[in-house]
Amino acid sequence: MRNKIIFTGVILLVLITAFGTALAADLSGEEIMKKVYNRETGDSRTANLKMILVNKQGSKRIREIKQFEKDFGEVDKKIMFFISPADVRNTSFMNWSYDSEQSDDQWIFLPALNKVKRISSENKSDYFMGSDFTYDDLGDRTLAEDEHKLIGEDTIHDKEVYVVENIPVAEDDLYSRTVTYVWKDKWIGLKKEFYDREGELLKVLTVNEVKEISGILTIVDSEMHNLQNEHRTILKNSEVEYNTSIDANLFSERMMKRGIQ
Amino acid sequence: MINRITDLVLKFPKTVLIIILIITAFFTFQIYENARLETNLDKYKPADHPKFVASEEYEDLFGISDSIIVAVANNSSENGIYNPETLKKIDKISRALEKLPEVARGDVKSLATVDNIKSSDFGLEVDPLYQKLPENEAEILQLKKEVETNKMINGRIVSKTGNSALIMAELKDEEIDRLKLYQKVKEIVEPYRGGSENIYIAGQPVVEGTLAHLMPQDMKKMIPIVIFVIILVLFLTLHSFKSTLLTVLVVLFSTIWAFGLMSYFEIPVYAVSTMIPVMLIALGVADGIHLLSHLNQEIKAQPDRDKLDLIKEMQQKLWKPVVMTSVTTAAGFLSLLTSDVLPIRYFGLFTAAGVMSAMFFSLIMIPAGLKVIGLPVLKLKNDKNKKADQKFFHGLSKFVREKRKVIVVLTIIITVMAVYGASKIWIDSSMLNKFSEDEEIVKADHFINNNFGGTTQLNLIFKAEENGVFKDPKYLKDIWKLQNQLEKRDLIGTTYSLNDYLRRINKVMNENQEEFNQIPDSRELVAQYLLLYSMSGDPEDLDRLIDYDYRQLHVQISLKTDRSQEIKSIIAEIEDFAAHTSLDKFEVDFAGSAYTNMIFTGLILDGQILSLAISLIGVFFLLSLLFKSFTAGLIGVLPIAVTAAVNFGLMGGLGVSLNTTTALISSIAVGMGIDYAIHLLSRYQYYGIRGFSKVEAADKAINLSGRAITFNALVVIAGFMVLTFSKFPPNRELGWLVSNALFVSLVGTLTLVVALIDIIEPKFIFNRRKDDQK
Repeated sequence: MRNKIIFTGVILLVLITAFGTALAADLSGEEIMKKVYNRETGDSRTANLKMILVNKQGSKRIREIKQFEKDFGEVDKKIMFFISPADVRNTSFMNWSYDSEQSDDQWIFLPALNKVKRISSENKSDYFMGSDFTYDDLGDRTLAEDEHKLIGEDTIHDKEVYVVENIPVAEDDLYSRTVTYVWKDKWIGLKKEFYDREGELLKVLTVNEVKEISGILTIVDSEMHNLQNEHRTILKNSEVEYNTSIDANLFSERMMKRGIQ
Repeated sequence: MINRITDLVLKFPKTVLIIILIITAFFTFQIYENARLETNLDKYKPADHPKFVASEEYEDLFGISDSIIVAVANNSSENGIYNPETLKKIDKISRALEKLPEVARGDVKSLATVDNIKSSDFGLEVDPLYQKLPENEAEILQLKKEVETNKMINGRIVSKTGNSALIMAELKDEEIDRLKLYQKVKEIVEPYRGGSENIYIAGQPVVEGTLAHLMPQDMKKMIPIVIFVIILVLFLTLHSFKSTLLTVLVVLFSTIWAFGLMSYFEIPVYAVSTMIPVMLIALGVADGIHLLSHLNQEIKAQPDRDKLDLIKEMQQKLWKPVVMTSVTTAAGFLSLLTSDVLPIRYFGLFTAAGVMSAMFFSLIMIPAGLKVIGLPVLKLKNDKNKKADQKFFHGLSKFVREKRKVIVVLTIIITVMAVYGASKIWIDSSMLNKFSEDEEIVKADHFINNNFGGTTQLNLIFKAEENGVFKDPKYLKDIWKLQNQLEKRDLIGTTYSLNDYLRRINKVMNENQEEFNQIPDSRELVAQYLLLYSMSGDPEDLDRLIDYDYRQLHVQISLKTDRSQEIKSIIAEIEDFAAHTSLDKFEVDFAGSAYTNMIFTGLILDGQILSLAISLIGVFFLLSLLFKSFTAGLIGVLPIAVTAAVNFGLMGGLGVSLNTTTALISSIAVGMGIDYAIHLLSRYQYYGIRGFSKVEAADKAINLSGRAITFNALVVIAGFMVLTFSKFPPNRELGWLVSNALFVSLVGTLTLVVALIDIIEPKFIFNRRKDDQK
């Protein structure tokens, strides 16, 4: 009897261990990335964005932008007002990104011309404002555009991460593959490597600082380094606020013209 | 000492020959293993020269690099390139070039890739001209319309007539074998030839690559013929197959040793290095001729003497002039070590090494060889000939002494004329000028120059002190004025700068109205357009034209020529314009290969002139030292100076430009001139000291050493005249310039030196005799 109990106990233990391991192992690359894509990031957000472009020679272009963003379900609307440099102050840029296949709508307002113009955005692999981020990199990408595979685990600054390889479904994608380092349980990428079509490492995105703001984990300082042309882009967020009541009317040509005052 | 060496050589002649052969085989192996032709002209330029450093920085900053240019022309279709077949070819070639590993990624500019800035329902659109290759009539018509209304494309990528289009592929900034690349591009293009299109390949890399190979290739073909002719003439003068063989082997082995050493030290073969065998052929036969023609005379004079004795006597009598002439010649070439240009320094160093090895072979291999294969067998019949040329040299010495004043006056007149001619000389770094008109490259170049901006690029950079300056319309507008003024020049096709973008964007943002095709009036609008372009276009396009701080602005100027004269005149015009406008507070700089080539050629010539001056002074002191008399130095140096003057004078008078190869010819004048002077003066002194009269001494010197000098010069001149039949123009020039230099040097030595000695009666020749008389 006693033996039976021990035996059952052992069996149970083995089963539990096996099951537990299976549970963890069951978390596929796809599932990890799904959690990353679906992480709660609020319905709306305002922030001050500082974009620093650094070229090979070490010269910098610094732009300060006030940014508003709101998810309207089918469409994600974003508006940016330039604060500096002085000669582009009050230039504004608006982007409507749709959940459907439809390509983004974009507008720009140039105060010196006093006109709002639409600009085309056919290509999501275009670099955004001369930075090292493509529109895709900045969040226009969706889960289904890549096949995801868990290829290992690692630690970054004492944080445990899953290493997930993402291979684009489309053959003409800008990248041959990317590798994302996802912080366990937090479901936020802490590092990402981008390989070009020839399989060479093209860019590395590093997250320098993550803050919890209104309960939402937020990347406030990150850097994209293009290793092939030695260009870098540093993005710094400040005064980040979530779920503020942004007026839907803000995302209009009229407001673009008015500026942030 | 020379006796000991000669004894040793004559004791173990076979061992000596075998050792020489082994070393020569080793060097031959080195050449096969390590020799590498340098086809990238940038490698020739001194990297630490401030102008090259600046140019390199700008090239890096603005991504300036040389392009291979492919032109596709269709003159048989009435729509020019606007037909499905031609467009497809352009597209295919463009895509294929993009895949070349030598081509910088995304840096192919053609109809297939170029960004078209246009207004659309959206507002501003920056997109390729087409996503899908236009096939039907409507699509093609649409493409044509878009090209013709965009001045950034029309006349730049498609000719204004619509009959041809360019594909420009920028090269990566790394080691690229330019000739291989040219061949690759030819292969890419090959399947698309035929049909109604003509395809041309041009551009700086193609020219550099072809040139770097053409000269050595042509030399490879010509040098065997040169050597054959030299063998022939040597045989006619030395009357012996054995002597001819030994003399030619001296030249051959010294060339192999020089190149072998270069390869051993893994120094690449530069275009100038092909001048090394040229120099060694010209200089290397001299020692052999002097030794062996002396031997011939002794054999004839004392046919019954022992072979070993004759060889020993030859060595004993002639080793001094052989060593002296070789050391002084080598010293002359070592003066090139003062040059700023690495390949020229190597040229000087290894030619000197070759000259020294020629001396070594003459003094070691000739006696050893004679011991092994036997003394030359001479037919002692040609008395008639002998009398004929004796008569000639007797006549010559008489003539020179009688007309000594005429000779001096004539020399002065010729020198004055030569100096005047030399003042007209022009420097040219043009590479295209080195090809014959019927070369494929030249035709391609002409075609592109006639239909597009031009194949040569000059890069102009304005540099301000403060950041943000070049967003100010005031300066941009002046730069635009400059662009317009420059484009009025016949040889400037197009200019390209930030202004071209700003004007285009301004027009497009104002509903395509032509009156807005101009630079915006406010700084804010400039800045906002640039920001706009960074959002909708490819901001890297602008990085090629303006730096991050808006402090350095780059203007690309396309030229239809790479001649230094034109580039200099353009630079002068730009500097003058800048000095009289708002641009006067900016630094005006230039970059790019056309510019650095020009500066580079200037450097070479400065170096050449300096080294010529140094070597003339050096020769003066060396001769003064050898003969313990400044008069000797002066008398010896004069014909060399005259030769150099006539050389440059002829070039100026006949419009031969000074370039890297023609500039080196004066080195031959010095090298040869020294030899001639030493031989003649030492013979003169020999008889002067021994109490011969002025008349006798002159007659004997001319008959003995003058004869050897003449033979020597004739042999080499005959050889170099062969080069005048080369297909490669620079080698033709080389052929007749070298021949001319040798001829003038010969005549100068035989006439001027003798006339001057006759007039001056210098002490170093005649004073002992006077002492004796006392």
